[in-house]
Amino acid sequence: MFEGIPIISIILLMPIIGSILTFSLGRRESYAKWFALSFSLAALVLSVVVALQFMVDPTSRATGYHDGRGFFNYQFYEEHVWIKALGINYIVGLDGISLPLFVLTTLLCTLSVLFSWDTKLRAKEYFGLMLVLEVGVLGVFVSLDYFLFYVFWEIVLIPMYFMIGIWGGPRKDYAAIKFFIYTHVASLAMLISIMAMFFQAHTGSFSMESIALAGSINTTLFTGGFQIAIFAALLFGFGVKMPIVPFHTWLPDAHVEAPTAGSVLLAGLLLKMGGYGLIRIAIPTLPHGAASLQILMAVIAIVSILYGAVLSLAQKDLKKMVAYSSISHMGFVLLGFATFTEIGIVAGVFQMFAHGLVTAVLFMMCGVVQHKCGTRMIPSLGGLSRKMPRASTMMTIGFLASLGLPGLVSFAAEFMVLASMFQVWALWLWLPILSVVITAGYYLWALQRTMFGPLTEQIDTTKVHDVSWYEGVPVSILLFLIAIFGVFPFLMFQFINPAAHIVFGLLGGA
Amino acid sequence: MREVAVWNTLQGFTPQLLLIAFALVLPGLDYLLKKDKRPLAWFALVPLVAIAAYIVTKLFFSSEPLSMHVGTLLTLDTFSGLFMLVFISVGIVVVLASPEFIRRDRNHGEYYALVLLALTGMSVVAESNDLIALFVGLETAGISSFALSGFRKSESRSAEAATKYFIIGGFSSALTLFAISLIYGVTGTTNIEVIGQTLQGSMDALDGSRSVVLLAVVLFIAGLGFKIALVPFHMWAPDVYEGSPTPISGLLAAASKKMGFAALFKIFLIAVIVTKTDWEVAIAALAIISMTVGNLIAISQTNIKRMLAYSSIAQAGYILIALPVGTQYGLEGGLFHILTHAFMKSGAFMVVAAMGAVAVGEKLEDFKGLSKRSPFLSFSMAIFLLSLAGIPPLAGFSSKFVLFSSAVYASASGPTWLVWLAIAGVLNSALSLYYYARVIKYMYMDPGPTDRIRVTPMIGISVALALIMVIAIGIYPQAVIDICKNAAAGAFPGLPPGVP
Repeated sequence: MFEGIPIISIILLMPIIGSILTFSLGRRESYAKWFALSFSLAALVLSVVVALQFMVDPTSRATGYHDGRGFFNYQFYEEHVWIKALGINYIVGLDGISLPLFVLTTLLCTLSVLFSWDTKLRAKEYFGLMLVLEVGVLGVFVSLDYFLFYVFWEIVLIPMYFMIGIWGGPRKDYAAIKFFIYTHVASLAMLISIMAMFFQAHTGSFSMESIALAGSINTTLFTGGFQIAIFAALLFGFGVKMPIVPFHTWLPDAHVEAPTAGSVLLAGLLLKMGGYGLIRIAIPTLPHGAASLQILMAVIAIVSILYGAVLSLAQKDLKKMVAYSSISHMGFVLLGFATFTEIGIVAGVFQMFAHGLVTAVLFMMCGVVQHKCGTRMIPSLGGLSRKMPRASTMMTIGFLASLGLPGLVSFAAEFMVLASMFQVWALWLWLPILSVVITAGYYLWALQRTMFGPLTEQIDTTKVHDVSWYEGVPVSILLFLIAIFGVFPFLMFQFINPAAHIVFGLLGGA
Repeated sequence: MREVAVWNTLQGFTPQLLLIAFALVLPGLDYLLKKDKRPLAWFALVPLVAIAAYIVTKLFFSSEPLSMHVGTLLTLDTFSGLFMLVFISVGIVVVLASPEFIRRDRNHGEYYALVLLALTGMSVVAESNDLIALFVGLETAGISSFALSGFRKSESRSAEAATKYFIIGGFSSALTLFAISLIYGVTGTTNIEVIGQTLQGSMDALDGSRSVVLLAVVLFIAGLGFKIALVPFHMWAPDVYEGSPTPISGLLAAASKKMGFAALFKIFLIAVIVTKTDWEVAIAALAIISMTVGNLIAISQTNIKRMLAYSSIAQAGYILIALPVGTQYGLEGGLFHILTHAFMKSGAFMVVAAMGAVAVGEKLEDFKGLSKRSPFLSFSMAIFLLSLAGIPPLAGFSSKFVLFSSAVYASASGPTWLVWLAIAGVLNSALSLYYYARVIKYMYMDPGPTDRIRVTPMIGISVALALIMVIAIGIYPQAVIDICKNAAAGAFPGLPPGVP
């Protein structure tokens, strides 16, 4: 269907054109949201069409990429020379690992635009930056060249820096600069690693595929010490983004201060970039380094899971609680990858997708509470279900999804992660299982204190309204998807499985 | 027939002759103009645009490489052509921004004449094959710059800057000249290539001359270190950049400093390359110290020109990575960063000049709310600063990428400690992001005065030129990288290539 059509580039162009138009609106700021919505929606529609096409024929020869040994399932593949002197090419393509995240990106960006419908403050810049962010995140998920990947990776930082810094809460200055520098340092660790891998591989090309293949064919290229050192650097680079304990401290600050849509994109998409980098780059390219650090990864993952959960329990700010819960849930992603089993890899990718949907709902509901009640502090809230029944229903479903209620998407993902862990480390499973109890604890407790019980008297509840349409619609769409993929998770597995199989093959399994 | 021969000999010197001719006419022209002195700027632009067009055609659109010799003294090849392009481009940006900035001052003719003479000196340095020619170039550029930095002689800051610059400049010239005489004493020649060959043969044989050569190396580091404002020879730079008229600060930071690098590359990688093992660690240490100290001090600055001065010191540290790496690829990165730094730094200074022209101050606080007062200036400034910090897809990222990767590659095939240059470089890039981002925060996030700033067309064009180059080179660096590669390979054929 897309033979000869550079469909990925066309999708990337949508937010690019949209942001340029939005920025050049001049004084007619009220049109900004319409531009942002139409262009992000166009990208969403096209990406869904791409996903359906991929579903029909995941190994199409017409648009697929030939690696010389057989077909890798990179589809919608495009390759153009960019900087010849440095061996840098514009290579984009999608496979089963990137596709779910790609569609998640277009979806969350569109819904975030909708959710921010009443933004009046510097609307032109707000919606323009949101589209720039979409370009960056989409680019990260489709790039198959290290240089291109890095460029997109860094582009993401700038709009997020501005979103926190301009539309953020009281401590926005501190949070914005901390986010910017913290994640930039991590990117630079990744940059040095990329240079080192490029030099060692001697392929003369920054193509991810060629470097990974060179390493797997000629195992002497990447020696043991080299693999461990570079893998550790990459684990740091991607781990800060995920984030993993102890490199998570930028996240609560950024989340608490960011505007709601910023938090949605930050937790829903930016954190996924870290996990994606691990499974796309670090693990398949440096399998021996990964194997040497397997236990370290598992320990970090379990510590993140438990530490994030315990900290969530202690939070008074609803949004901060959700922020810490992200650390806990992203720990499951790392745990899945750390098992080095095929099912663990699938589960990790699926958990990224699931967490993207669920956390978006949670942050949106925090935004609704903040918007309607003027505060997010749990002790000041209470009994809101009487004033905002629809909001409290949505929040309840969101919380239940996040704590892993069977039938909703997170359950399927986290269950698979735990199952894969059981295969490898058997009864050590009790450690991450503990978090399930804690997670249920903090969500239900928070729910009880905010939505149920006697109506709070600390805030003026006479003016509290239920969700607005532009808030309710995005949340409903997300909840619908959470239920669909919770009941039919195999809808997603058929994408992820073949790609995970290839990664697993590079690990020396298969 | 004889005229033809002379002309052929001087062909490589035509750009300088053109600059000198215009420089000599300019002060006279000043008397003919009554009130509006802007035509002087247009007149000064004529040779600059002509030379830029000529070099661009020769470098980018000509099949045969640039190669013109003026005896054994000067060579106009890809390497010197590239440097000349840097100087002339900065010259164009500076001259465009000047008329508005100096409109209340006197002596416009001299101002433009001195700018052209400074550029003449710089391009002589880039072309020189001979230490004497190199020294003459350094002095021509130096003396013109001293006068330019003191252009506002009634302003005490400007006078102080000129005095300081003059004393330091004279001192550094003396050191350089002493080093040249030592080298001459050992080798009996001032031709850079011949020095290299002579030293190659005699280093092992003559034990006594070795220490003399090393003394000369130290003196070169100090003398040229002043020119490129390397820590610990940097003290003058912030004061001089702060005190000089802003367009001239741009000229000093973006062009004059690059002249020092042209000299440094020629002397260290051709003339005394045989002693590389003796100086590589020292220069690597100086590079790391420069970038770290420059960035750390820049954080605490409250004056934008001083902040940019310290950022220049740090950037000089990055460029210096090319020397200890000592491969053609490393040099390619050094040249590339010299080129991109010229645009982003001159652009940043011209934004400050544009604000200065409408009497907005130079404090960081004065940038508050700039995005409302002038969207164009604040957007340009944000791009220049992000490029200086090395954020893709801007020019500064591409050049840092080549530069830092050269250190990583060299460490894989040579001494492993070279990788620390790359690590120090990236850590410093992260550090520098802090103070660059703070200016962006002032411009976009903090409230400030709301009256619009009127940007005159000429300064606007000047900033826009730099802006277009920073973005274009960032997105499509291929053409420029090819030129840098040819320049490095052509001028330094003896170095290892350094790419896998």
